[in-house]
Amino acid sequence: MWLWFSKLGSPRWFYELSSKWLPWLYALMFVMLGVGLVWALLFVPADYQQGQTIRIMYVHVPVASISLACFPLMAIAGTITLVWKMKLADMVAKSVAPIGAWFTGLALASGAIWGDQIWGTWWAWDARLTSLLIQFFLFVGVIALRSAIESPDAAAKACAVLAIVGAINVPIIKYSVEWWNTLHQPASSISFDAVAPNPPEIWVPLVIMILAVYVFFAISLILRTRNEILQRERRAQWVMDLVARDQQK
Amino acid sequence: MSGDIRSEGNSNYELQQSVSTWTAFCATLKRDLLIAFKRRNDLLNPVMFFLIVVSLFPLGVSPDPMELTRISAGVVWVSALLASMLSLDNLYRADYEDGSLEQLLLSPQPLYFLVLAKNIAHWLISGLPVVILSPLLAYMLYLPAEAYTTMVLTLLIGTPVLSLFGSIGVALTVGLGSRGLILAVIVLPLTTPVLIIGAKAVTDVMFGVPLASHFALLGAILALALVMSPLASAAALRISVN
Repeated sequence: MWLWFSKLGSPRWFYELSSKWLPWLYALMFVMLGVGLVWALLFVPADYQQGQTIRIMYVHVPVASISLACFPLMAIAGTITLVWKMKLADMVAKSVAPIGAWFTGLALASGAIWGDQIWGTWWAWDARLTSLLIQFFLFVGVIALRSAIESPDAAAKACAVLAIVGAINVPIIKYSVEWWNTLHQPASSISFDAVAPNPPEIWVPLVIMILAVYVFFAISLILRTRNEILQRERRAQWVMDLVARDQQK
Repeated sequence: MSGDIRSEGNSNYELQQSVSTWTAFCATLKRDLLIAFKRRNDLLNPVMFFLIVVSLFPLGVSPDPMELTRISAGVVWVSALLASMLSLDNLYRADYEDGSLEQLLLSPQPLYFLVLAKNIAHWLISGLPVVILSPLLAYMLYLPAEAYTTMVLTLLIGTPVLSLFGSIGVALTVGLGSRGLILAVIVLPLTTPVLIIGAKAVTDVMFGVPLASHFALLGAILALALVMSPLASAAALRISVN
């Protein structure tokens, strides 16, 4: 178990293993995205209330669900960095921050487009929107801190601390924002919790889309992490060999 | 002028070892307060800033009493938040530059309590004056009389949280060249729950909403911040000073 754990921390091991994973992940993503998108955009019946705009859900919900998962992931990677000083964990933490910010921004943008159609406004100070916006600011803070500190080692630890503090704060922010708005104007928004009782022809493509976007997220995280590995290990022999082999081709 | 106080505190390692945590806590608190009182301007700046920001709102929004009453709670709270942000930079920077922060990190007492002492000193210097001044500004913004007590009490519970959270941000950025804006970007999102609950309590009391839950939530956040945030600050200081 511990051998496996310390092996996982080796950037080279991860690089070589992920080279084998990537083609399979690509294939999985393209199949699922193709099936999910065609199904969602062409074959799902229009909603009796929302009409064709219900199709925005098939992009918005997967993106939003990932944006919520990114901060805990970054905090876990940060904890591993602080406790076990695992190099790979910090590379993942560094890679996940911009991806998380992008997904949060995409969730806000797709939500705004949907909101314009359904609520008649691009933006409302709804609890979900507001807490997502604050989460976006938290990501921006982590990225800004990372770029401000020159020493990579200090940046890794500082960002890990900030990620953990932020992750403890995310639920507090979420609940305080919900408490703030729901007390003020109850049930002003459309809840997505109503997805479950819907017929399978609506939620099965949604599940496919969520999985597809998760695979997409995994691929982009792996690619970014690989980039980071090459950059930080550029003096290592195995990276130089890799580059030499690449140039020979 | 504060040099002799500092050198006195660090003169003898053996002496320090026999110092109890409580004594070290009091000494740190006293030292920070003393330094602050010797730099009167630093002491006045947050309060002045608070006053100026609050008076910008009637100029920018409207001098209409009805309008101002409606936004008064939020204006006072946001201004208190910004004033606390502005004074944060003093928390560790001078100590970092003259090396006494390193001495603090090397001291045998738990860093948690020393950081807590510094945070309490920061709150006494920047937070408490704002709380004391707030009724005056609330009056200028036509806050209804029945909301005064709530406003002062929420600020009294909320501003220490601002100091505690802010301390984490300062500790993370203390070694950086340009930290003013980055500090705000890091710290402000963390303080949103306090702002939401504090400002809402003051608004709600005008409508006669019962306030027990507001105070319970604010108190819970303060309790959490008191326990957790000096730990995070201490860890961040060790990283930044290295």
